[in-house]
Amino acid sequence: MRIGRLIERIAGLVPVLLGVSVIVFLMITLTPGDPVEIMLGDSRSSPEQEAALRRDMGLDRPMVERFFLFLGNAVRGEFGLSFFHRRPVIDVIGERLPATIELTLVALVLSLVIAIPLGVLAAVKKNTWFDRIGTVGSLLGVSMPGFWFGILLILLFSVKLGWLPVAGRIGFSAEVPFVTGMLLIDTLLAGRLDSFVEAARHILLPALTLALPMAAILMRVTRSSMLEVLRADYVLFAEAKGLSRARVIGRHALKNALIPTVTVAALETGSLLGGNMIVETVFGWPGLGRLVVEAIFSRNYPIVQAAVLLYAVTYVLLNFIADLLYTALNPRIKL
Amino acid sequence: MTAVARLPAKAESPFQLGLVRLMENRMATASGLIAILFVLAALFAPLVAPHDPNDADLFRRLQPPVWLGGEWAFPLGCDGLGRDILSRLIYGARISILVGTLVVVIATIVGVIAGLAAGFIGGWVDRSISWLVDVLLGFPYLIFAIGLMAMMGTGFQNIVLALAYKEWVVPARIVRGETLALRELEYVEAARALGASRGHIMLREILPNILSPVAVVATVRMAHVIILEASLSFLGLGVQPPTASWGSMVADGRDFLVDAWWVSTFPGLAILALVMAINVFSQGLRDAFDPRIQE
Amino acid sequence: MGRVGKSGLLAMMLAATVALPATGAELRVGFSQDAQTLDPANHRNRETETIIRNMCDGILTRDAKMKVVPEIAESYTQVDAKTWDFKIRSGLKTHSGAPFTAADVAFSINRLTRDNAMGGQTSPRKSLLGPVTSAEVVDGSTVRLTMSAPWAILPAMLPFQEMVSEAHVKKVGDAAVATSVDCVGPYKLVEWRRGDAIIMARDPNYYGGAADIPPVGPAKPDRVIFKIIPENASRVAALLAGEVDIINELPASALKQVEASDKAKVMAVNGTRTFFLALNMAKKPFDDVRVRKALNHAIDRKLIIDRILAGRATALNGVMSPDAFAFNDALPEYKHDAVLAKKLLAEAGHPNGIELTIDTTGAFKQTAEAIAALMARAGIRAKVQVWEGAVLSPMWANAEKRAERDVYLISWGNGALDPSDIMVPTLRTKGRGNFAGYSNAKVDALLDAAETEVDQMKRAAMYKEAQAIVNADAPWVFLWLPQDLYGVSKRLKGWQPSADSRINLHDASVD
Repeated sequence: MRIGRLIERIAGLVPVLLGVSVIVFLMITLTPGDPVEIMLGDSRSSPEQEAALRRDMGLDRPMVERFFLFLGNAVRGEFGLSFFHRRPVIDVIGERLPATIELTLVALVLSLVIAIPLGVLAAVKKNTWFDRIGTVGSLLGVSMPGFWFGILLILLFSVKLGWLPVAGRIGFSAEVPFVTGMLLIDTLLAGRLDSFVEAARHILLPALTLALPMAAILMRVTRSSMLEVLRADYVLFAEAKGLSRARVIGRHALKNALIPTVTVAALETGSLLGGNMIVETVFGWPGLGRLVVEAIFSRNYPIVQAAVLLYAVTYVLLNFIADLLYTALNPRIKL
Repeated sequence: MTAVARLPAKAESPFQLGLVRLMENRMATASGLIAILFVLAALFAPLVAPHDPNDADLFRRLQPPVWLGGEWAFPLGCDGLGRDILSRLIYGARISILVGTLVVVIATIVGVIAGLAAGFIGGWVDRSISWLVDVLLGFPYLIFAIGLMAMMGTGFQNIVLALAYKEWVVPARIVRGETLALRELEYVEAARALGASRGHIMLREILPNILSPVAVVATVRMAHVIILEASLSFLGLGVQPPTASWGSMVADGRDFLVDAWWVSTFPGLAILALVMAINVFSQGLRDAFDPRIQE
Repeated sequence: MGRVGKSGLLAMMLAATVALPATGAELRVGFSQDAQTLDPANHRNRETETIIRNMCDGILTRDAKMKVVPEIAESYTQVDAKTWDFKIRSGLKTHSGAPFTAADVAFSINRLTRDNAMGGQTSPRKSLLGPVTSAEVVDGSTVRLTMSAPWAILPAMLPFQEMVSEAHVKKVGDAAVATSVDCVGPYKLVEWRRGDAIIMARDPNYYGGAADIPPVGPAKPDRVIFKIIPENASRVAALLAGEVDIINELPASALKQVEASDKAKVMAVNGTRTFFLALNMAKKPFDDVRVRKALNHAIDRKLIIDRILAGRATALNGVMSPDAFAFNDALPEYKHDAVLAKKLLAEAGHPNGIELTIDTTGAFKQTAEAIAALMARAGIRAKVQVWEGAVLSPMWANAEKRAERDVYLISWGNGALDPSDIMVPTLRTKGRGNFAGYSNAKVDALLDAAETEVDQMKRAAMYKEAQAIVNADAPWVFLWLPQDLYGVSKRLKGWQPSADSRINLHDASVD
């Protein structure tokens, strides 16, 4: 059943990706600006040299031909050369992707770690001062502009207190062999605890900035589903049987209450991925979001095309995972 | 519930009931008032603002707020060109509020029409609208907006368009879902059996019933759109200078972060305050008007 | 994580409150941009060149005073107007220990100047070598460069090109040169963490560097790290926290803060970027020289330099940097005088002032706004429009597209510090950067003659005359030449900034 559903989803991806490609391509076509001009910058160059550069970048071909070339190559997993790096797009994106995935995963874990205990406590202590502070806190979280919060964190923890590094991914003390590209994992694989700590210190502030709005949402979801579960028959029954409240909450209520939390978390991971270019810019995090924004500004079309496709695929897959989680965790729903 | 207990005896519409519930939510009403204050300040900016927001004087460059040795004439200090930060905040509210309102209004109108059409007409109309919705959802919001801004150029009108092009998807999905549910309901079936036209059913039977979830969503989205506009301005894709917008004020202040923190701190606080007021209010709205979410 | 539990980890993170100080053996540069590639022939980006320059030497280089001196060449001579000979040092070795000879130099030059020489692509740096057509080894150690036309500034342009090893390029392939380095240079590549850092280590095989730039010998630090920190405020914070020893592009706004610090100080050098407002001479009222002069008088350059650029810029009355070849120091100054500006405008038929829009990019937004505010005091109602560089520069480079635009705040770099490299593109008729649409037959004739003139005295005289004409015609509002500002650790020794924005780390060290 689920395999069939997966195939259906993947088949449904095709028209969506086609639409995404067309829109990206139209946007690029209609956008003024000339990558050749940017590349040449100051100083002199003859029209012939400009023409040669244009040809090397494939910009001398007609638009429609370029679109079908792009499409044909994309199907084979080829995305051409990045204009300015002059290296395969796949390589350039591949180098930045692990940093973004790492940041996203840490933010995801961080927001779950913050949201679940607070959400459960808020539900259990409903209408107490704790619940009210929690409510205000979560509203604060969803209302916080990320770029500003990031700046405040840098100002406080890096500049004023000097506790955490200002920008980047890792200290300089050691090189670790590239395995996953995710430094928290690679440093552990290399057995370098000092480097791991360095990497953790670097990721803490950007991950916190990214996690804040998500934690706020997840806390609300956890709180309300916990409230619902606590009113359910089986919980009342368990309590009536004389089980301690903590045990009831920990054993029975929590498991069920977390179903919506996990589902929403999977859904929100998509917006986490798409929303992190602000955080990456503020913290100098060398990830995909920053690369794409730079690529849009420098008219580095091959990067923009490939990255947006990647985002779209990820988003659809995350939606599918959310569905899957929801059904897998909730025995009452059948596909 | 206490709210119900104190209801007056005479029968009231669900709308009036909701209004009463809303008024009794102190946090929501306070937030509503704060939001209204922002709107009033923006509307009457020329009267409220102590200075011309664009009046630069390099001799006042980075003058601190009054409590840090500044002067009362410039209570929140001055920015890198010696402009009054308070006045720029007040004028900047215009951009945030106007963009937020316009985008949400346009998106809601387009979204409701698209959602109604998809949900009620079905068939290829539904398929194409749903396809477009799926395609647009595949784009990360900010990247889509940045791409559009690069395409259309900066400026107020283009910000509104860039955000509205994707924003309509949110109400469209909700309206489509609600419409699908409603069209199977008895009274709609009944209206159809009585020979009511499609248009009549859509506008008279279905539309009124989806307005309250749509309105609740619209307020939440407005808060979201204001943050997005600020993010675009922060990245330098906002309104043209010297027009003040909160996001670009935060960006302007980044270079002075350590020795003139006030330049980017106050506009950030302003965004937070307005967005939070809208969020709290909209939560009150949802509690009061959307009976399904009530406890 | 083993026995280190969650709380233990947190404790460790907080215990390491002070950033690890740079050891004497390691030098860290907080740098504004990552390299686009490590292939010296396949980019057009100054920051990329700065990074590569620490790993790959050129035929010639510049000392701190911008004088051109031989680097891996021992000496060089001009054979005739179109031919130069470069004698290459013997016994050179690349990072991998492979021999490096004149043949490698000829290969590198041909890779730059010949069409399709880079795996089917033509080097985007080709135009930086002007009319150079080919390089060949004439005897065992001499490389001869042949040009299609006389070109006086060849020695000034050669320091921008770094040499690669032919064997290495052939072995890894042209595409892979983007990520692997085997050159003759003080440092070898250890690791390139894209977007984050480039780590280099001292190359023991290094011959020692240019004989004219003492000390000659292996590089001082064991390791050099370029840490990429694009955000200005973050770069400054990293310097003040001791995380890095040098930062480039220190914003003028952070000057006071760095100066007040007990760990860091400011170092500056006259830059090579000339700032100006290009006036669209094809459009009224900018076709009237009185209006253009009025605009020049309307702006208080000293005030802006003083307040916004922290005094770190030189006011200009013309195009050239005071440090450049053939700088004309006798140009009359356009003094700030709002009354005179109003009078000139009235004479030109604008007694009520004029309106204009200043186009610029985000980086210069604040400067443009300050200029606009100052213009208002002379009856000029100026607005600012911020564009993306990708749109603005092509628009202004095209006479039709800029037809409706007024004023463009822009800078033009002149890393060679030679008028040929800035006056020809920006002021010769139809030059690539001639945004004002300036066209003066006399200036064109002077520039063309100077281009092929071999006698440097005569060349200088021609350029000085051209500068005087441009000053009088005022196609621009002449602005200033900012200093390049660096923040450096007080423990740093043996380093000074260089006007061509290179960061030569050969002799630098921290104690």
